[in-house]
Amino acid sequence: MGNRVDHEYDYLFKIVLIGDSGVGKSNILSRFTRNEFCLESKSTIGVEFATRTLQVEGKTVKAQIWDTAGQERYRAITSAYYRGAVGALLVYDITKGQTFDNVQRWLRELRDHADSNIVIMMAGNKSDLSHLRAVSEHDGQNLAEKEGLSFLETSALEAVNVDKAFQTILTEIYHIISKKALAAQAAATTTTLPGQGTTINVNDTSENVKRGCCYT
Amino acid sequence: MAKNHVPDWLNNSLWSSRSPPPQQSLTPAKTSIDSEDMNRSTNSAVKSSVSAESSVKLPVPMPPPAVIRAEPRPVPPPSPKVEIIGPLNSSSSNCRSDGENGSSAGSTTTSGISSTEDISRQAQLSQELSRKIINLGEVRRLASQGIPDGPGIRAIVWKLLLGYLPTEKALWPTELAKKRPQYKQFKEELLMNPSEIARRLEKFASLENDGTGTDIEGKGVLSRSKVTQEEHPLSLGKSSIWNQFFQDTEIIEQIDRDVKRTHPDLHFFSGDAPSAKSNQDALRIILIIFAKLNPGIRYVQGMNEILAPLFYVFRNDPNEEDPAMAEADTFFCFVELLSGFRDNFCQQLDNSVVGIRSTITRLSQLLKEHDEELWRHLEVTTNVNPQFYAFRWITLLLTQEFNFPDSLLIWDTLLSDPEGPQETLLRICCAMLIIVRRRLLAGDFTSNLKLLQNYPSSNISHLLYVANKLRVKSAG
Repeated sequence: MGNRVDHEYDYLFKIVLIGDSGVGKSNILSRFTRNEFCLESKSTIGVEFATRTLQVEGKTVKAQIWDTAGQERYRAITSAYYRGAVGALLVYDITKGQTFDNVQRWLRELRDHADSNIVIMMAGNKSDLSHLRAVSEHDGQNLAEKEGLSFLETSALEAVNVDKAFQTILTEIYHIISKKALAAQAAATTTTLPGQGTTINVNDTSENVKRGCCYT
Repeated sequence: MAKNHVPDWLNNSLWSSRSPPPQQSLTPAKTSIDSEDMNRSTNSAVKSSVSAESSVKLPVPMPPPAVIRAEPRPVPPPSPKVEIIGPLNSSSSNCRSDGENGSSAGSTTTSGISSTEDISRQAQLSQELSRKIINLGEVRRLASQGIPDGPGIRAIVWKLLLGYLPTEKALWPTELAKKRPQYKQFKEELLMNPSEIARRLEKFASLENDGTGTDIEGKGVLSRSKVTQEEHPLSLGKSSIWNQFFQDTEIIEQIDRDVKRTHPDLHFFSGDAPSAKSNQDALRIILIIFAKLNPGIRYVQGMNEILAPLFYVFRNDPNEEDPAMAEADTFFCFVELLSGFRDNFCQQLDNSVVGIRSTITRLSQLLKEHDEELWRHLEVTTNVNPQFYAFRWITLLLTQEFNFPDSLLIWDTLLSDPEGPQETLLRICCAMLIIVRRRLLAGDFTSNLKLLQNYPSSNISHLLYVANKLRVKSAG
């Protein structure tokens, strides 16, 4: 296993950042992993990758976050990046109605390419630009409820709710994993609870949510 | 397996050495960065003295008066005296004064060039460029080792390598006189806003018989009859110019977003200076025109990054002061360059033998062929799918992996290779992997991917040397 070298975590969760071009995905990533924000960041081509390790309910979780290009052309290519993802942060820009309208397209994208149990959080980014707001928080909330997603408005610029968004996703994933582990334990007494160094393999299986906790 | 072990040359001590191997005559990267800065001064007084004093007999193509005369109307005219502000790197101040006072312009001002080999190669290139019929093979040979700075040399060499300028110099003025007005016409036709088009169509309809119609009629773009009845913003007709306009809006917004994000660290492209604004405008217009003329590909994110080096080089060419001409030249060279790489941008071709996926697979095979141990560690042991890093390397022709002056040097090699840029590109990518092989072999998935997505700054001559070595291996 490729990540054997790094023993400093209990779980490794792969999370993808998706959403239209220009909604601020890369800045959410840099805010979360490096606490940086760059007003004039370059457009992302292909995929970019960063990690951050944090505590989730007493466990050390390494979040491996994949930032993808927003333009439609890149979706065919980026489908490979969904493989093994257990969480997704679907970002739109509260000042651009079109990016909110496209949320449905991104959900379809996830349905087509990602694991069906993937945990999805929708984030209305750029909440600092409230004077330019085009999508109300209420509308965001409604859509999230309708689609069964978690929802937060975020500001990568002001560092508002970015950590919370990831923390929420990771916690939810952890709960799913733990529940499955308990169920698995009940089903087969030989299986132990996930312990130190359990890896949710993001590299070569698309079913790690289902099986991740059961093989070591 | 025969290729199971690392070839001896890979274990040579030169891999850990930062200095270029002894037998090569490549430009040391640092030197070239300095010399690149020399090119930045676009003070017109300097320009003329440069071309006058230089030992290089650089031909100044004389476009016909018609080309010079008019600034295309629909576009905000770029400011003619653009100051390239802002150093490309911290070392620029050393040579800046040389460029600005222009007193020592010419081959001797290239204080950045320390090696006699570079000077001699520059002289050879200049000599080659001064011939009536340029020997392209010779230019390729010289340029493949990096183009040493000299006033406008890179601009001319790139135009030759991209086939924009013919090798027979006497044909340059005619060729440019053909192309540049063509671009101007594209601008006039393709950038017009719909109400303007509608107005012109009406006017055209009324003038149809007296032969003084506007210049749209010849191209057949909008030659339908009765269009005027349908041409209003709420028209639902698919053929409506307004419908087309709204479709274009999306792509234009994407272009705008990306042009603004092109080299945010370079004053040439970014910031509030008027020069940066007019340079951004030029990039924007070129991309829009390209998208409109190539409906199969339109605009794909990242094209801005491929366009930027071309425009930078041509706009800073002291032999071409008119920004509109630099823009036109850039457009055609961009088209030419993309013709070799456009398949990478085409989603329909992603899974074909010419698409980006198979290009990436070829890189993987190349690595396996030359360094199977590294290949195995990357792709089998640590599961680093080459798509995760090489996608950007390849589609953006390495413009994002190195600093700007270094990527220009890489492009010298890419463009000059007689085998075509794609093969060279793959060799350079492979060399990039091999150069950091020790770190990769010691790394896991995370550290390897981080390393390859944030490639460490490197000695470019060394990189190109290694890449070239791969060619020899492949052949043998």
